[in-house]
Amino acid sequence: MAALATLAASNAWSAEPVKIGILVPLSGPTAQFGNNIRNGVELALEDMKETGGLKALGADVELVYADVPAPNAAAAATQRLISQDGVVGIIGSFVSSITLAASEVTERAGVPMMTHSFADQITSRGYKFIFQVANKASLFGEKQLTYALDIAKRAGSPVSKIAILYEDTAYGTAQAKGLRDTANRLGIQIVVDESYPLNLTDASPLVNKLRASGADLVFPVSYFNDAILIIRTMRQQNLDIPTVGGAAGYIIPDFKKGLGDLVEGVYSIAPANYDALPAIAEKYKKKYGAFMPHEALMYGAAFQHMVKAIEVAQSRDPEKIRDAIAALRKCDGFSAGLPGGCTAFDANGLTSVAFPVFVQWRGDDIVTVYPPEVAKAPAYWRGKEVK
Amino acid sequence: MMRSLLIIAAVACVALLLGAVLQPRGYAVRVVCLILLAASLGQCWNIVGGLANQVSLGHAAFFGIGAYTSTMLQIKFGLSPWAGLPIGMLFAALVSVLLSIPTMRLKGPYFSLATLAFGEACRIVATAATGLTGGPQGVSVPFAGNSWLLLQFRGAGAYVPVFVGLFVVVCVAFTLLANGRLGYMLRAIRENEDAAEVTGINTLGVRLAGGAISAALTAATGTMFAQFTFFIDPDIVFSATSISIRAALIAILGGVGTLAGPIVGALVIVPLEELLSAYLSNKAAGIAPLIFGLILIGIVVWRPSGLVSLVTQRRGRT
Repeated sequence: MAALATLAASNAWSAEPVKIGILVPLSGPTAQFGNNIRNGVELALEDMKETGGLKALGADVELVYADVPAPNAAAAATQRLISQDGVVGIIGSFVSSITLAASEVTERAGVPMMTHSFADQITSRGYKFIFQVANKASLFGEKQLTYALDIAKRAGSPVSKIAILYEDTAYGTAQAKGLRDTANRLGIQIVVDESYPLNLTDASPLVNKLRASGADLVFPVSYFNDAILIIRTMRQQNLDIPTVGGAAGYIIPDFKKGLGDLVEGVYSIAPANYDALPAIAEKYKKKYGAFMPHEALMYGAAFQHMVKAIEVAQSRDPEKIRDAIAALRKCDGFSAGLPGGCTAFDANGLTSVAFPVFVQWRGDDIVTVYPPEVAKAPAYWRGKEVK
Repeated sequence: MMRSLLIIAAVACVALLLGAVLQPRGYAVRVVCLILLAASLGQCWNIVGGLANQVSLGHAAFFGIGAYTSTMLQIKFGLSPWAGLPIGMLFAALVSVLLSIPTMRLKGPYFSLATLAFGEACRIVATAATGLTGGPQGVSVPFAGNSWLLLQFRGAGAYVPVFVGLFVVVCVAFTLLANGRLGYMLRAIRENEDAAEVTGINTLGVRLAGGAISAALTAATGTMFAQFTFFIDPDIVFSATSISIRAALIAILGGVGTLAGPIVGALVIVPLEELLSAYLSNKAAGIAPLIFGLILIGIVVWRPSGLVSLVTQRRGRT
């Protein structure tokens, strides 16, 4: 922030700064994701300044934050950003329900909003002003299974029985549905299909069921605390069947902090991974002391896409910026770190290039292991390297 | 009674005036709407919480029923929320009567806990009944731009007259109840239920009636909320903290059992939340809820009978 302030003070450009709203949870249970997003966006802004990306804009960019710990606060905060602060676009909000509530306001106000939230409904409502840089939750569910099946097949230990454990939230149920539908389509037997309430206190009943079922592969779809509890309980019971997490809590640095060496080899589906963008990831790590989580990367990319669109539009009119966002295909900076290498959108505002990737824990890092065209290292399946 | 009606009229006029002069698609007018909704919600709670001293911590149940009834009827059958509104109110009233069967003998904290559990049960049912409610994914009110028929507008300004209408209905209902026969009976029950029973009051009937009216009006507030935010999910509308406890908090902060209580409570709580969020989001977002909580504790310790007591005390009424 200090760097921003000094830059604004010694502003070489005469014009009023262009304001972009960052609408994320900075307090409450998902605050750590919101803070990661803040870090990512600030680094993305720095990156653009260093590479001269802001010069053509003719004005500085100012970030205006709004803290939305819960969806009830989203509408008022969005309206405040738009009509009090005069932002020309909004980036946010990680949690799908917050994004859905906020985008009802941006749509009616005619201001573009960019998100990485996964919920299928986000770009299924026929709205014009919302853009989703990540794939839909149902696709994550599907790929989670097909990727894992392929790796297992290559490792020579094909999977016939799977277990799905998911939290009964929007995110958990949507991914579980994708998994279930795909398993049924492929004729894979689901031996456990259990939901549990968010903030589980004891995972042993779930894990006992899992052990008794003889599943070859387990998919726990959970946010942070539950993810830790489930993996720890599994390991305590010496249950080491391959585990595929559902993004969110499984791919943040705190997962390692919470579980230590137990994380080794855990898989997860991910919308993006930092090893695709080593230079920027290195900078992030130096600045914030941990690897760059996917939300920092994705919101950084969304932010850069919006800034670039403002530059292309040569206008502060949100409607023109919206059209520029829709038309733009951006493949440099943070956008290059997304699977597919670009940010670009189809007619509904959904990403037209991205695809989910598979990551695996190795020491303190997560490494992209699938699909082969973006993999940075071979996968390990039951301790065996997969060629 | 005259004085109460004057207060309602004055607040309504000020709100309408603000709605007319403020930028109709702006933020300030949205805050006016939020205050009207919060005051209405607090007043609904006040009917049972204030008059009968039945501290309900489950009003989210009725709020959510109202929000979901009108929204689902709109999505599935294209029914206007104007028609969904009375259906939701009826449904909530019915549920309130059914709820009274197991809870009517409970008093004090036992009643509160039972209602709290009931609100949570509704949230869980709404989460599980995917076919009925859309499940945890939540549902969006279908987009219609500006439409009086479908009760939705692009800017918050157009909602002001609608919400003022709701506010007036709820407040007048409270006033009529408080000054009417039912109000006296509710207060008699509050003071001493056994004595009330002995004097010939049908305590069960009175409690049922009060509860049903409160539930129906809460459901109406829920419908309005859904039409205002356009997206609901079980965690939003059946929330124990941001609906049930908030409803009680608004009334308690202003003054339980008084007409002005929830109005004052809403006038303090909503702007305070918005100001804290607006000024702290950029610097220290995590601190906002802490400061908010400390201020509320401060007010309640300083004025246990609510902020309204500042005025009534000076007049020598207490």
